[in-house]
Amino acid sequence: MMWLLRKELKSIIRSRWLIFGFMMSPLFAWTFQGFFLNFVFAQSIEPEHVYITIEDEGAWGQLLYDRIVSQYQYETTVPDEQRFLKFSNLTTVSVEDGLALWDNRTAPVWVYIPANFSSIIEQYNVTTLIIYVNTGSFKASAAAERIALFSQWQIRVTDLYINRITPPTAEASYGHQLAIFLVMITSVLAPSPYVSKSFAGEREQHTLEALLVVPISRLRILAAKLVAGIVLTAFYSAFTVVGIVAYNALVAFEGAGSVNSQSQIAYYSVNVYSIPLIVFCQFLVLLCAIGIGIVISTMAKDQATSESVNNLLLLVPTMIIGILGFTGSITQFGGPFGLFVYLIPFSHAIMFLNGVLSPNPNWGTLTFNVVYMVVFTIVTLVIGAKLFEREAIIA
Amino acid sequence: MDGETVIETIDLVKVFDEGKKREVVALNGIDLKIRRGEVFGLLGPNGAGKTTLIRVLVGLLTPTSGTARVLGKDVTEDIEYIRERVALLPQEAGIYDRLTARENLIYYGGLYGIPEDELEKRAQKLLDTVGLLKKQDYQVKGFSGGMKRKVLVARALIIEPEIIFLDEPTTGIDTIGARIVRNLLKKLSTEDNLTIILTTHDLNEVTELCDRVGILNEGKLAAIGEPSELEEKFRAANLEEVFTGLVTGEGVYQE
Repeated sequence: MMWLLRKELKSIIRSRWLIFGFMMSPLFAWTFQGFFLNFVFAQSIEPEHVYITIEDEGAWGQLLYDRIVSQYQYETTVPDEQRFLKFSNLTTVSVEDGLALWDNRTAPVWVYIPANFSSIIEQYNVTTLIIYVNTGSFKASAAAERIALFSQWQIRVTDLYINRITPPTAEASYGHQLAIFLVMITSVLAPSPYVSKSFAGEREQHTLEALLVVPISRLRILAAKLVAGIVLTAFYSAFTVVGIVAYNALVAFEGAGSVNSQSQIAYYSVNVYSIPLIVFCQFLVLLCAIGIGIVISTMAKDQATSESVNNLLLLVPTMIIGILGFTGSITQFGGPFGLFVYLIPFSHAIMFLNGVLSPNPNWGTLTFNVVYMVVFTIVTLVIGAKLFEREAIIA
Repeated sequence: MDGETVIETIDLVKVFDEGKKREVVALNGIDLKIRRGEVFGLLGPNGAGKTTLIRVLVGLLTPTSGTARVLGKDVTEDIEYIRERVALLPQEAGIYDRLTARENLIYYGGLYGIPEDELEKRAQKLLDTVGLLKKQDYQVKGFSGGMKRKVLVARALIIEPEIIFLDEPTTGIDTIGARIVRNLLKKLSTEDNLTIILTTHDLNEVTELCDRVGILNEGKLAAIGEPSELEEKFRAANLEEVFTGLVTGEGVYQE
């Protein structure tokens, strides 16, 4: 079997475009996202609906409130390019209403001038403005930054501290959801070229017949190709880690006009501690994808057919699971659709990742998620082995 | 030639898609005996069943009925034993383009459990014989069709088999290359007692190389014997007349 493995690896290493694709796919996906976010941070200047509450009865709080309101009113009369705050609407609400709006995520930005705003500045020459901002929205994040700048300018920069309150990370971490989405999209489809080449490609190039008459069982041939595929996926995972690091760096990088605050960076970046988990989930996804790919490849007449069928078959579940994973709603469906989602093995990688990162992980469920994917892979490999044994493989 | 029988088929039948509309009887009651050290030519038009017969004998296809024995072992029972001792050069044999000529040979030999240092020696010798020693470390993706075919012949021989099945071994090779391969096969047959079963459309090659020939037509063994015997039996001027007469049913005397 070592000979088979050596030959597979040698062929892989010499397939420059395959290696290049495996390097570039995760790198491109992640760095593109990083560039994209950095660009979006800088370009998020669309008007946003802002809610404001004043509890302070002192002069400073009233001054700030009046300035924000008058600026908003002034901006309704001038062209877009002359606007700074760019509110689509400004609504004054009570503290209770503001909290309710924040709790049900209706208010993207809620500016709260607390009751002690003036008394503190008069006593200590510094005070705090509270801005509740849904960092999941680019517009809201950008609007909050403009309000902060405007307020600091009105009160004098050194005197005003901005306390940004953001949704809990577990609920809204963009980086976490993005990791799920990218791992799904790129990992499910990544093994397709190699797996298709391994079986349908050998058949197409007429190398399979001579291979099948050697005194080695077909199961061992299949196993050698599987191991080579796993080695290739390890390579892929390594570049995924590089991609995530590059992504994190780009999210934190303050490009021209960027408004990426610490809260945004925390929200959009991928938590470093979750990278090993992401890689583990990616490995499980790749394993399942290889299993499915082997089944398809042993049935297909040529490499192109194998790749096309593989991509076609996996595209719909990948998109469904990827989007559900991205929106954090993978387990929120019941009925036939919920069952469909549950049966797709890749769903379990997302459930596992979400479960591990949740405050109270259910280890029973997590174990089931992993076992489900491993069993699914074994079943596909057994089916692949059976298909590999049939006579028609050389016909 | 009175050597031991190394290949024997008795009433061998192979049917594809049995019971279906597209059912094809590829082999229909083949009785055949091939002796050790013999060069046996399988002749027949396209679709006659030559490749199917070879595939049954190397265990790639299972017989529908009848018996096939290679080296005294039944192909349905002891295929591992058989595979360790036979080599196959398929008709449309491919080669691993990303490997060098030498690596292709060594890889194939390695699958048979032959030690690497022994494989190195054999590879050098075989590549020298087929005239590719200077190109041994080139990836074969840049080789011509004929050069690839030579590598494939060498690859089949690296395991030093007892029996070799060659499905059109010289197709695509230039005249000089084909001569080299034919001389090699002759030498292996006479000096090493290698049993060679080859299919070809080149009747001159058959006349030059083969001790006996079997002519397959529509899955049946239409004739078997030494070329001169067949010419005499069918009162034909040469093997080509025998072949065309048996296939078309015209211009040849049949008892």
